[in-house]
Amino acid sequence: MLKGIVLTLELTVASWLLALVLGTVLATVRMTNHRLAKIVVGCFVAYHRNVPMLVQIMMWYFALPSLLPVSAQLWINQFNGEFLYSVIAIGLCMAAYVSEDIRSGLRAIPFGQFEASRALGLSYIGSMRFVILPQAMRIAVPPLINHTVLLFKNTSLAMAIGVAELTYATRQIENYTFRTFEAYFLASACYLALSLALMGAGALLARHYRIPGSK
Amino acid sequence: MIIFTDVNKWYGNYHALVNVSAQVKRGQVVVVCGPSGSGKSTLIRTVNRLEDIQKGQIAFDGQDVNAAGLDLNKFRTRVGFVFQQFNLFPHLSVLENIILSPTRVNGLKRGLAKDKALTLLERVGLSSKADSYPGQLSGGQQQRVAIARALAMDPPAMLFDEPTSALDPEMVGEVLNVMKSLARDGMTMMCVTHEMGFAREVADQVWFMDAGVILEKAEPEKFFSRPEHPRAQRFLSDLRSH
Amino acid sequence: MFEILKNYWDLLLLGQYPSGPLGGLSVTLILSLLGLGLAFPVSIVLALARISPIVTVRIPATVLVYVIRGIPLIMVIFWVYFFLPLLIGRTITGFTTMLCTLVIYQSAYLSEVIRAGIEALPKGQIEASRALGLGYFRTVRFVILPQALYNMMPSMISQFVSTIKETSLGYVINVPEITFAANQVNNQLLTQPLAVFSILALVYFLLCFSFTELADYIERRITRKRDGKRKKIKLGAPVKRNYIAMSTATVSKENS
Repeated sequence: MLKGIVLTLELTVASWLLALVLGTVLATVRMTNHRLAKIVVGCFVAYHRNVPMLVQIMMWYFALPSLLPVSAQLWINQFNGEFLYSVIAIGLCMAAYVSEDIRSGLRAIPFGQFEASRALGLSYIGSMRFVILPQAMRIAVPPLINHTVLLFKNTSLAMAIGVAELTYATRQIENYTFRTFEAYFLASACYLALSLALMGAGALLARHYRIPGSK
Repeated sequence: MIIFTDVNKWYGNYHALVNVSAQVKRGQVVVVCGPSGSGKSTLIRTVNRLEDIQKGQIAFDGQDVNAAGLDLNKFRTRVGFVFQQFNLFPHLSVLENIILSPTRVNGLKRGLAKDKALTLLERVGLSSKADSYPGQLSGGQQQRVAIARALAMDPPAMLFDEPTSALDPEMVGEVLNVMKSLARDGMTMMCVTHEMGFAREVADQVWFMDAGVILEKAEPEKFFSRPEHPRAQRFLSDLRSH
Repeated sequence: MFEILKNYWDLLLLGQYPSGPLGGLSVTLILSLLGLGLAFPVSIVLALARISPIVTVRIPATVLVYVIRGIPLIMVIFWVYFFLPLLIGRTITGFTTMLCTLVIYQSAYLSEVIRAGIEALPKGQIEASRALGLGYFRTVRFVILPQALYNMMPSMISQFVSTIKETSLGYVINVPEITFAANQVNNQLLTQPLAVFSILALVYFLLCFSFTELADYIERRITRKRDGKRKKIKLGAPVKRNYIAMSTATVSKENS
């Protein structure tokens, strides 16, 4: 079971990093107001929000490799293909959510803030750095924490394609030892503990960066 | 100080500013008034290029505002702008709001900037609020901080875009008092406002605008007692009727 | 892709029916509707328990909601799969397992939505209602819930969309919903996984997207109704939020 936990954590961290980086890129691209960029990002987000996570994982594991040449497929499978595909699937899906969170954070800032900072002489980057992003991030952090917890729980879906993370490991233990209740109880406790820890960390973060005087 | 020459602006097909030519001399206080949608806010926002113009010239302190090689950020530090919605930065304290631009854009040392900020806060009557956050202040206090913030860079001129329109009536007075003291100290000011009492007291000229055109420029006394343009007469009678 | 649809549409839509139990898209929809529908009354009770002033009611409810929200859906499925038969003493079908799971899972999430809706109402509503002499249950029934549920309708439709997506996990315990059916098709064909799964993704996409748009439409109507039909007067110049344009503003000058 310990190996399962480790793998779950690896999955979580890898997907989370991918999601964060890609999500930020997507949000930035969308901000350029370029027509094509907005359509592409919009489609990306719509796909990942409307298709179930499990189906997305299946797409990456079963369907998309058929597009790659056979040699590439074999090469990927050598290096723990299931893990890789799961990370890509979960990471991309959560990137869509992250980009939406960042976008809604930016949209919540009145445009007058940007005007005022420009009127004071701050450059575009200066305004973003000192005025817009500090405020936007404070707004975006709670939903980002929620989606991080969601990402963590979604790693359990990787068991469907054979990734030996916590849920898969639990099933194996249950198959071998028939100690169903203990196995599932322990696994559930692990998930619960980590989820609560993440939510607690988020609440602490939100409280630390609270703006005095805001409602 | 501020010279508009044949300024024209379009929003798509809508002609927002029509052949505006006018001057604000050094040390003058000009009040721009007119009905909603007359283009007065648009006009004042063209001076620091929050809005762009398609035709014409604007000169600020001898500098062509729309020149190709202009360092826009440095230029904007020389134009003090006060917004209707105050637009203080809620995540920074009052002091940090004021010293943000002098330290980041002009490279002033923090210590010096802080001293300057405290002096300015005293001038607007808010020295006790230096470490408060905008969310903890009333509207009138926030606008006074906004004025201090704009003054922090020693601009040769100040622009006010309806500074009291978003305030509750009892707080309008405190902001107007700050503006009047600025005017008496010789600051060049261009104000878009509905406060006719203020205009009467400190303005050197009143410009009346409607539909993007400056219809009348006159001294306050003359404008308020005997406006020439029929539209101006109608505007003033509407204003007086309540 | 179209040949696959032509050949297998009945499997994808109806499963093995009529020569077997119902499956495919029909089961997905039935599962979602029943799941959310049955979860609805439970979630109302749970939401009221969560904000109840009685501590012995509030704490267990809060704990329950946190636990269900803290573990993945797959875990909940396995819990129900293994322990519900033990509880009621007989074996149950995958469909029933999935249904119970969805009811439990969604009631936790839906109760949070409803709780948010209740807490968003002005306190004056409760005060006025109690001042008129209405007791707790009448207040809830005639004043609080109608408003809260109406305001939260877009969020509830979003939860329905989530439920549709969650039915896909029935695949893991062999519930014959559409993901399972698609995998059956894929195992038969073996050479066209991309086409099969694209169809699957497309079905979910169309389904969820339409409901999301419905939720957005309802939300716009509710906001409009709430803010009154007057057009809001915007102060100041019309502002197009264009960060880039404001920075690199160049003036197009015409020679007069």
